[in-house]
Amino acid sequence: MRIKKLLVLGSLILLVLTFSLAFARGALGYYPLPLPRVRMLASWYLYTTLNPQYTNFTAMSPVAVAAIVWDYRGLDTLFETAVFFLAVVGALTLMRGVTLKSVLNNANNKDNNYGLSLISKTAARLLTPLIIAVSASIALHGHLTHGGGFQGGSAAAVAPLLVLVIFSVYFLLSRGISEKPMFMLWTAGLLGIYLTTLAAVFIGLLTGLNAYVFQNQPKFDAPVGLPAQISGTLISGSLFFLNIFEYLAVAGEFTLVFILLSMPEEVVKSFISGETYE
Amino acid sequence: MVRRMNELNTFLFNILLFSLFFNVGISLYGIFARPSLIKKIIALTIFSDTANVLAIIVGYRGWPSPEQPPIPPVITSTEPTSEDLIRFINRAVDPLPQALVLTAIVIGLAVTLFLIFLTLQVYRLYGTTDVRRVARLRG
Repeated sequence: MRIKKLLVLGSLILLVLTFSLAFARGALGYYPLPLPRVRMLASWYLYTTLNPQYTNFTAMSPVAVAAIVWDYRGLDTLFETAVFFLAVVGALTLMRGVTLKSVLNNANNKDNNYGLSLISKTAARLLTPLIIAVSASIALHGHLTHGGGFQGGSAAAVAPLLVLVIFSVYFLLSRGISEKPMFMLWTAGLLGIYLTTLAAVFIGLLTGLNAYVFQNQPKFDAPVGLPAQISGTLISGSLFFLNIFEYLAVAGEFTLVFILLSMPEEVVKSFISGETYE
Repeated sequence: MVRRMNELNTFLFNILLFSLFFNVGISLYGIFARPSLIKKIIALTIFSDTANVLAIIVGYRGWPSPEQPPIPPVITSTEPTSEDLIRFINRAVDPLPQALVLTAIVIGLAVTLFLIFLTLQVYRLYGTTDVRRVARLRG
């Protein structure tokens, strides 16, 4: 047992030292660190991210990261959304059939019997709208500053989480924020992403011009594209819409997962053991 | 002076890399050697965060001069001129690793959520999250 522990410790130390030495001596492709300049590909992304002179290459977004996420490498992000969808569906499958309906109808489970003190409840009442406002601003400015749909959606899901902890799950469900509306929000977001990726194709069909799936700005052989500006305000074509729909989808998904994670243990156990059916 | 600055920069970078790999060592120990599933998940998140920081480091660039630190890859005007863009390229960090890390963070989050649900289910069914005891269970 002692030898085994020493072996584990020794191999971990060897691993740390080997990797540190390799990276310090140029495994990142440059010695000594840090690199004095960015790579050619990065220069190209930086040069074309908001460059009105290169109309056929630019993504028309001042944020190079947002442009890469939703334009240059947009398909990566689309499939990432699919992975996210599948992981949450997997989690939901483990909790299938579990609801709080029977518990909610019980008169003993009124809101005031649960939750933290009045001080925390008042603070949460003040903070929740602020969190929603900040998260919406993160998502709506995703094509102009750091942030975007994922970050905004994750921030928005903090608000129901706060309510869950401070008021209890019964309060949230009795106010209508239950599994079904969140599932609908999530689906609406995914549907919006799907339609936005096809928007350029629809415009192409209507105008009879060539167009691609997931197209944002006009290209050489596909002169249609989504408008970069609406009455002088930069919206960066599809980036604005994709950020909004991703925000809805992520916020819905996380709220759904948080509600399911905060189900009372005895209720879930009665469902799993087969004593309760709905 | 500039040479001393560069040497100091390299030294600090090497310390950063060593601490990142130290983190990797700790998290690998947590994943392989700790029996609790919850601790394995915590170690896994530390591991993925360390990998993400490493990817960000790959996209970082040295300071062109002490008065000109690198800037985030965001253009501050909505109608940049060619000179603005050249200046931007000469100072901004690589946006590609940042975009890939954003993707990795979200996927990591989804996988962590799924693992947490699985662990919760294991605990509900077997009453323990110790993998040694779960492995010894029959039926």
